[in-house]
Amino acid sequence: MAREEHRVGYGLPALLAIGVHLLVVGLSMLSLVPSARTEPPSAAVVQATLVSTETATDQAQRAQEARARAAARQQAEAEAAREAERQAQEVEARQAQEQAAREAAEAESQRQAAEEARVEAQRRAEEAERQARLREEQAAEQEAERQRQAEEQRRREEEAERQRQAEEQRRREEEAERQRQAEEQRRREEEAERQRQAEEQRRREEEAERQRQAEEQRRREEEAERQRQAEEQRRREEAARRAAEAAGGSLDSLIASEQEAIANARQANEAANGFQALVRRAVEQAWIIPPGSVDGLEATLALNLLPTGELVGVSVVRGSGDAGFDRSALQAVERAAPFREMRQLPAAAQSQFRQFNLRFRPGDIR
Amino acid sequence: MRTPVNDTMSIPHLIMNASTVVQLVMLILVLGSILSWVVIFQRSLVLSRAKKAHKAFEEHFWSGVDLNDLYRQIPAERESLGGEHLFRAGFREFHRLLPKAKSPQAILDGVQRSMRVAWSREEERLNLHLVFLATVASASPYIGLFGTVWGIMGSFQSLSMAQQATLATVAPWIAEALIATAMGLFAAIPAVIFYNRLSAETGRLLGKYEDFAEEFHSILHRNLQGRGESAAA
Repeated sequence: MAREEHRVGYGLPALLAIGVHLLVVGLSMLSLVPSARTEPPSAAVVQATLVSTETATDQAQRAQEARARAAARQQAEAEAAREAERQAQEVEARQAQEQAAREAAEAESQRQAAEEARVEAQRRAEEAERQARLREEQAAEQEAERQRQAEEQRRREEEAERQRQAEEQRRREEEAERQRQAEEQRRREEEAERQRQAEEQRRREEEAERQRQAEEQRRREEEAERQRQAEEQRRREEAARRAAEAAGGSLDSLIASEQEAIANARQANEAANGFQALVRRAVEQAWIIPPGSVDGLEATLALNLLPTGELVGVSVVRGSGDAGFDRSALQAVERAAPFREMRQLPAAAQSQFRQFNLRFRPGDIR
Repeated sequence: MRTPVNDTMSIPHLIMNASTVVQLVMLILVLGSILSWVVIFQRSLVLSRAKKAHKAFEEHFWSGVDLNDLYRQIPAERESLGGEHLFRAGFREFHRLLPKAKSPQAILDGVQRSMRVAWSREEERLNLHLVFLATVASASPYIGLFGTVWGIMGSFQSLSMAQQATLATVAPWIAEALIATAMGLFAAIPAVIFYNRLSAETGRLLGKYEDFAEEFHSILHRNLQGRGESAAA
């Protein structure tokens, strides 16, 4: 049975395996080779698309082809008709032979049948002719239709082209318009920007001017203030000086000597001291000491003065013990009043001298 | 213009222009593929014949023929295969042990042992070269991948020397590198499929052998029981 096939060698499997591999390699080659071969047809396709845009020439070609096809068809029809005729003749001949073998009466009918067949063949031929003509006419009609369609197509394309160009034109104009507007807008914006900047500049300058003027004003005011103060100062000094001059030579010299280097309060103090001395001198000048009074008497008097320098009242604070002497002192004060220098004193000094005491010693006068 | 491109990108051209390592890898893969196909065909033939032979032998065995006749029909000069091999080994051992051994259990033990040996030989014979198929199936994708990686390394090295790195300068290198992977897969896929198929068929056939051995063993056992009773009587 299967005993002869027990041993399976490696020759057949090896052959089969190599065959499989060769098959695979061959298939891969085959799949490559047609792809290389298909390149020229693709080029032909590209050419075909180029031709299709040129509708007129293609139309002519196609018309020619259609005509040729129609002619070929016609020829084929004629051929068929001839063939039919020939076959009919053959049939007729065969039948005639058979007829001859048989009876003569039948030959007549057979001939008539052959005649009919011929007529039929004729009719078929005519029919074929008519159909061929019809087909030709149809082909011509189709061609005309195709030309008309091609014409229409071309017109439509032109129309589309014109529309496209118009569209393009319109788009370009819109674009130009948009650009112009954008330009205008930009110019306006620039203008506004420039104006705004100029405005700002101007405002800044005005501001600076105002500040400068305010500064100047302030400086002027300060200057004026300083001048005024200096004036005041000077006036005060002048007043003090004048008061001192009015008070007398020693006081004048005293005031003059101290005027330059001493502060205002000090000046006022000096002026007050000067005023006291002045009052004392004025009183001593107006004082008539009663004769016979003892040397070394002294009396202290209290004076009340108005800010104008007028005397309100005078009284004895501490008497000398000699009534005549005291009375003469009071009279001297009343005679010496008013003390007009009081008005030139500073306000503080004035308040100081509204009420003050004076001590008189006649010994100093003499 | 297109023809030279096609020419340079064709598979034989790419294989010829590949670097030596990649060509070596391709050669190994082609050899592996051819050998695995040889094994596939050879094993398929062996298995189909073994199945047919076993079927015929079993039919013959169960047709009621006398076992001594059957044993004599099998020619002793050449090594028998399959079920015949098992039958022959078991029956020969039975005949040798029958005059010497006293207990039937010893005879049956000896028969079983010899049949197990024969079964093991059959298994070895049927599984021959299937390991090679498994090796090709598992290793050739890696070998192909190695070729691809090597080729792409080469392509990038050449790319670093090129002034302008265009796709056209890299494409042939990568194409030829990818051919290696394709070949690896081409070798591996049939190997995997046929390894699974062949090992399953081998297992089934070995199961049949085992069944036959058991049946034959039970026949011998029955025979010995009858003989032991007759001897005792």
